[in-house]
Amino acid sequence: MLQILTVCGAGLGSSFACQMSIDAVLKELGVEAKLDHTDISSVGGAKADIILSGKNFEKQFERYNLDCPTIFLDRLVDKNEIREKLTPVLKELGAL
Amino acid sequence: MQILNFIIQNILTQAAVVIGLIACLGLALQKKSIGAIVSGTMKTILGFLVLSAGSSVIQASLAIFGDLFNKAFGLKGLVASIEGINGQAMTDLGLGSEIAITLAGIFIVNIVLARVTKFKYIFLTGQALLWESTLCVVFAYFCGLRGVPLILVGSIVGGAFATLMPAFAQPIMRQITGSDDIALGHFCTFGYMFTALISKITGNKSKSTEDINLPKSLEFLQDTYLSVMVVMVPFYLIVAIAAGPETCAQYCGDTNYIVYMFLQALQFVTGLYVLMSGVRLLLAELVPAFQGISMKLVPDSKPALDCPVLFPYAPNAVILGFIFTTIGSIIGMFLTPMLGLPMILPGVMSNFFAGGTAGIFANQVGGRRGVVIGCIAHGIFIMILPALLSPMLGQIGFQNMTCTDVDTVVTGFFFMIIKSITGIF
Repeated sequence: MLQILTVCGAGLGSSFACQMSIDAVLKELGVEAKLDHTDISSVGGAKADIILSGKNFEKQFERYNLDCPTIFLDRLVDKNEIREKLTPVLKELGAL
Repeated sequence: MQILNFIIQNILTQAAVVIGLIACLGLALQKKSIGAIVSGTMKTILGFLVLSAGSSVIQASLAIFGDLFNKAFGLKGLVASIEGINGQAMTDLGLGSEIAITLAGIFIVNIVLARVTKFKYIFLTGQALLWESTLCVVFAYFCGLRGVPLILVGSIVGGAFATLMPAFAQPIMRQITGSDDIALGHFCTFGYMFTALISKITGNKSKSTEDINLPKSLEFLQDTYLSVMVVMVPFYLIVAIAAGPETCAQYCGDTNYIVYMFLQALQFVTGLYVLMSGVRLLLAELVPAFQGISMKLVPDSKPALDCPVLFPYAPNAVILGFIFTTIGSIIGMFLTPMLGLPMILPGVMSNFFAGGTAGIFANQVGGRRGVVIGCIAHGIFIMILPALLSPMLGQIGFQNMTCTDVDTVVTGFFFMIIKSITGIF
C-alpha cells in the first residue's frame, strides 16, 4: 500500500496534525494509504512513497538523499493546500 | 470478590494495561474492525513501555549529572524537562494509571466544555495533554487526594485548561494565521501572552523579522534532538570540568571523565528520543479517536493544535525566538539561586518550541525589537516560574528535574491556592 510520511521537529504534534488532515483529504479523494509521522532526525532512514513537511524544513531535507517525492506545505493543516499539492503527486504515482 | 481484587490489583494498577484499555475503548467507539482494535491497543501498550524505558535512561543520566553538579558548585541544579517529569511520575511514583485515566477524563471534560460554553476549542496536542494530565495528578496527589476524587479533580482542572488556554491565545492567533480556523494547543500560553505584552509595549510592529536574511547555518536548530545535544553537551562538560576527575571517578571508572560525561550527555538525549518515540506510539490511536468523537459531538469546534503548526508563518521569528529565549533563560538560570531557589538549567525542548512560538507572537505585535526584548523576558519568565514550583516537586520526589511548560506550572499554583484556601477552613 502507498506509504505517506509527515515530518516535523519532534515528530509528535504538528506532523501528527498534518497527518490527520491528509487522512481527511485522502478519504475525499478515495485513496487508500498507510500514514505515519516522524521527526526530522529520523527521516534519513525512513521508508515512504511520499513525504510531507513544513516549508520551514525544506533546507533540512537537502542533507538527505531521499528518492521519493517530497512536498513542503505553508500551512500544515490546510486541506485545500494539501489537496492541491498532493493530487499531482498521487497521479504521478498512479494512485489516483 | 477474588476476581474483583485480581482486576484491581493486577489490571487497574498497571498503567500500561489501563492506557491500552482506554485506546481499546476509543477504537471500539469509532467502530473499527477487530484487527484494528487489537493492533491499536497493543501498540498503545507498547508505547507506554517504550516511554518508561526512555524515562529510566533519562533519570540514570540526570542522577549522575545532578550529583556532580551539586559537588562542583555546592548548590542544587535541576534540569527543566517536562518529559522527564512525566516519565518519572508514570513509572517510579506509581501514578501511571491515574494519569492515563485522567487523560481520558480531560478529553471528556474538554468535549463537554466545548459543547456547552462559547469556547469551541478541542485540544488535539496529545503530548501536551499528557503533560497536563501528569501535573494535575501530581499536584492533586500532593494536596492529599487519592483514587476517584483525584481523577475527577484532575480531569476537571485539566479539561478547563485545555478549553480555556486556546481561547486565551486566540486574539493573537487570529492575527498570525489571518483566520479563525485553528487555535493554539500548547501549554505555554501564559508565556506567549506575557511575551506579546512586553513586545507590544517595547516593540515596533512595522519592522518584521521576516524581512531579515538569517544565516543558513542557524537552520540546523530546527532539528530538535540535534539542538538538545548542542546545549546538553556543554552543560555536562562544564560540570565534569568543575567537579574534576577525582569526583567524577566514582561514576566513570577507567574511562576519561570528559569522554564519560560527553557520552552521558548523549545518554540524556537518547532517553529523550526513546521517551518521545514511546509518546508517539502511545498517542497514535488515542488522538484520532478523540478527534473523531469530538467532531461528532461538537460539530462547530475549532482544533487547538501543537505550536509548530505556526512555524511556517514566520520561520525567522522562530529561530530568533529560540535564541533570545535561550539568552533570557541563561539570565534566569543565574537569577534563580539569588532568590534562594535551586539553579534551574534551561530545558532545550521548551526553549525551542515555546521560544519559537513566543518569537512569532512577539513579532506579530512588536516586530524585531519586540522579539529581542519580549523573548529575553520570556526566557527569564519560564525559568522563574518552574523554580518557584521546584521545592514542592522536590517534596513529591522529583529530585533532579522540574517542569517547563508554564501553563502546567500555573496549574500547580492553582492547586496550591486551592489547598491553602481549603486549609483555612
